[in-house]
Amino acid sequence: MIRQSDGVSLASIITPETVVFMDGTPSREEVVRRLTEAMLPLVSGIISSQALISRVAEVEKLNQVLESGFYIPHAKFPELHNFFGVLGVIPQGFDDPATGLKVRAALLLLSPHKPAYFQLHLNMLSRLSQTFQPELIEKLAALKDPAAAAALVTGK
Amino acid sequence: MVPNPRFKQVLVLSTAMLTFISFWKAAAVVLCDMGSSAYYAGGIAMNAFGPSFPWYVLAVMVFAGLMLMVYVESCAMFVRGGVYKVVNEAMGHSMAKISVSALMFDYMVTGPISSVSAGLYIASLLNNVLPLMHVNWHVPSRLVAVVFAVAVTVYFWFENIKGVQESSDKNFKIMGFVSVVGAVLMAWSLWTVYHRGFNLPPFELKFTQESLGWMTHFPWLQSVGLVGIFMAFGHSILALSGLETLAQVYREVEDPKILNLKKAAFAIFLFSLIFTGGLTFLSASIIPPDLIGGKYLDNLLSGLALELDGPYWARLILQCFVVVSGSLMLVGAVNTSLVGANGVLNRVAEDGILHDWFRHLHKKYGTTYRMINVVALTQIAVILVSRGDIYLIGEAYAFGVLWSLVFKTAGLILLRFKEGLPRDWKFPLNISSDRGDIPVGMILVFIVLITVSVINLFTKRVATVAGVSFSLIFFVVFQVSEYMNRKKAQLYADSGDPEERLNLRKEADIATILPELTKARKILVPVRNPNNLVHLRSVLETADDETTDIIVLSAKMVKGAQLDADSGSISEEDKDLFSPVVLMAEKYGKTVKPLLVFSNDPFYSMAQVAHAAGAEEIVMGVSGLTGAEVQLEKLAMAWGMLKKPGDASRQVLARVVWEGRQMTYQLS
Repeated sequence: MIRQSDGVSLASIITPETVVFMDGTPSREEVVRRLTEAMLPLVSGIISSQALISRVAEVEKLNQVLESGFYIPHAKFPELHNFFGVLGVIPQGFDDPATGLKVRAALLLLSPHKPAYFQLHLNMLSRLSQTFQPELIEKLAALKDPAAAAALVTGK
Repeated sequence: MVPNPRFKQVLVLSTAMLTFISFWKAAAVVLCDMGSSAYYAGGIAMNAFGPSFPWYVLAVMVFAGLMLMVYVESCAMFVRGGVYKVVNEAMGHSMAKISVSALMFDYMVTGPISSVSAGLYIASLLNNVLPLMHVNWHVPSRLVAVVFAVAVTVYFWFENIKGVQESSDKNFKIMGFVSVVGAVLMAWSLWTVYHRGFNLPPFELKFTQESLGWMTHFPWLQSVGLVGIFMAFGHSILALSGLETLAQVYREVEDPKILNLKKAAFAIFLFSLIFTGGLTFLSASIIPPDLIGGKYLDNLLSGLALELDGPYWARLILQCFVVVSGSLMLVGAVNTSLVGANGVLNRVAEDGILHDWFRHLHKKYGTTYRMINVVALTQIAVILVSRGDIYLIGEAYAFGVLWSLVFKTAGLILLRFKEGLPRDWKFPLNISSDRGDIPVGMILVFIVLITVSVINLFTKRVATVAGVSFSLIFFVVFQVSEYMNRKKAQLYADSGDPEERLNLRKEADIATILPELTKARKILVPVRNPNNLVHLRSVLETADDETTDIIVLSAKMVKGAQLDADSGSISEEDKDLFSPVVLMAEKYGKTVKPLLVFSNDPFYSMAQVAHAAGAEEIVMGVSGLTGAEVQLEKLAMAWGMLKKPGDASRQVLARVVWEGRQMTYQLS
């Protein structure tokens, strides 16, 4: 069985280049759209933009904002062999219509859609929700710099 | 800021938390009722048809083995395979009501016959012991019996009102003690027989005018030998009482249920044959017939102890032990009858054939006190009317026993021809046919039962008049109740307070429930759809009840402000969910801990309960809406959210199970 120790690390997906700060109070759909746009260059040549946009829009309906106010829209693609993530920080946050929770951080996660990777995918989701607790989100929202945000999240 | 708890209250369905017992204990519970007839059946039979009674008591005990097999088949089909369930399935509602009426009559007389018999044994002992203590006072046996019987009934009435359930441990200890006393009595009897020699009891039947009943009007029938045999058999059949307890106790029998049920049935048969049949036989061989028909008529086993070879003081000590063990067993039968009658009435009330008035719960103890009151008051009335005459109660007794068995056996025969009712065991002697197995063996049993029952209608006038009247009264009560309930249901659909009828316990927090989870392993089984319990079945099939707590969790969705309100109530929907859960747990003989939480995120609730309880596994059924992968993803996120950042220690195995497949992943 693949375990968390088998290479799932937030540092592998969250770097200064994959952190996006969003001003104002965008809607949930707007946040997902901007995260998807930021994801496109990372997976170009592997997944077409159309496939990415439509797949993310499809799975986004199933995803629920966590109690901590962290949102993880995620999708799996058979073409991928690695995990990809884009972190969105929304200092002013938006009110999630489904749960009524204020969301100030969201991470779009793309995972390989292969049975061997599903354990890692679960580990990644668990690790993300464990990391993005309300205290960390508070600190993130107070930052302005993507590098500082990536360092805060990864502890590096 | 820490995430808010996603649920505020936890509801524990304590009615569902059965603990399961070994086959020895199950046998002990039944024998405390069935075996107690050893103390009075011989005397009553002797009074009815003379010194040949041991043959018939022995025959009844052999027949009990067949009836036990009938019960095993019914339990192999229904976890709660009592008379009501079987007859209802086979012959419909009306016949079920008639059969339950007869069964209720059985219960109403079981208590009195047992308590009066115990009183008579105590009185006989006092009459032997008091002169030795220079107290020259003759104890009026019947008066003592009535006073004792009423006192015992009042005691157990109050115990049942308080909801103190019959403990199988207690029954087991009583039966252990009774077995030791019985073994000593038997060994000593055999030694006496060895020294004195013995003559086999005669086969000749000597019916009294009373025991012939209305048969005196049919002298030509008396000349038919077989009729006489059935008449004598009918006068001894009361030794068979207590079988219904087997159906009631079956739900508590531990896994593997059918195997343990068979073992319990065999233990009951063997004990009854040796204890009731054997000791009655030895009594007839050792006690002079005039004493059996005289001073030992209502305390036969005391008589056996006193008529053995040996010094008087030793025999008196043995009598003390016989009386103490007998009283414990007989008194236990009083409680069993109250518990059994209350259980049957609750069962029929669930089906709406007993008016809701009866189902009202006691404010303090939460028991169905009105049902218990009715049963206890009727039993006290029977005791008072009998004025301590055990023969009179014995005469009436057989009616309920026999007719409930007639209906039950007929029901099982009919069910053999009904499709889609699998059973793990069948009564032997079957012939295969296109329409199913023809249960030749069971039909033969039925022929015996119906013949004895019909003959008893003529010979046992007290039983016929009292039994028919009483059953009719109960039947009318059931009819009227059903009519009123139906009318009420039309007027006020869903107006009742369902929670009131379930033993629910509200707890503010999951933490208060944790001390109740004492086993080494814990498995959390979330449930949502009563038609999708494959995952629960897989857990029940594999988990070791000794070492594993199975927590069955239903997370009921509530939104926003509802979560802050006192949302702790259970709906019909919840009951529909938990009923099959409880039945399935009963079927596998494993204990489950059913919890209901009100939550706005079921996955968070699952994770929270699993985390708090230290569960090693979370076993989910597959959701048709989202699929297994999405379920696991949501659970993984909820699980992670509960962990402190950097805490890598807690892991849980998450399984999604559906027919023939499962997905298993570790959540870290």
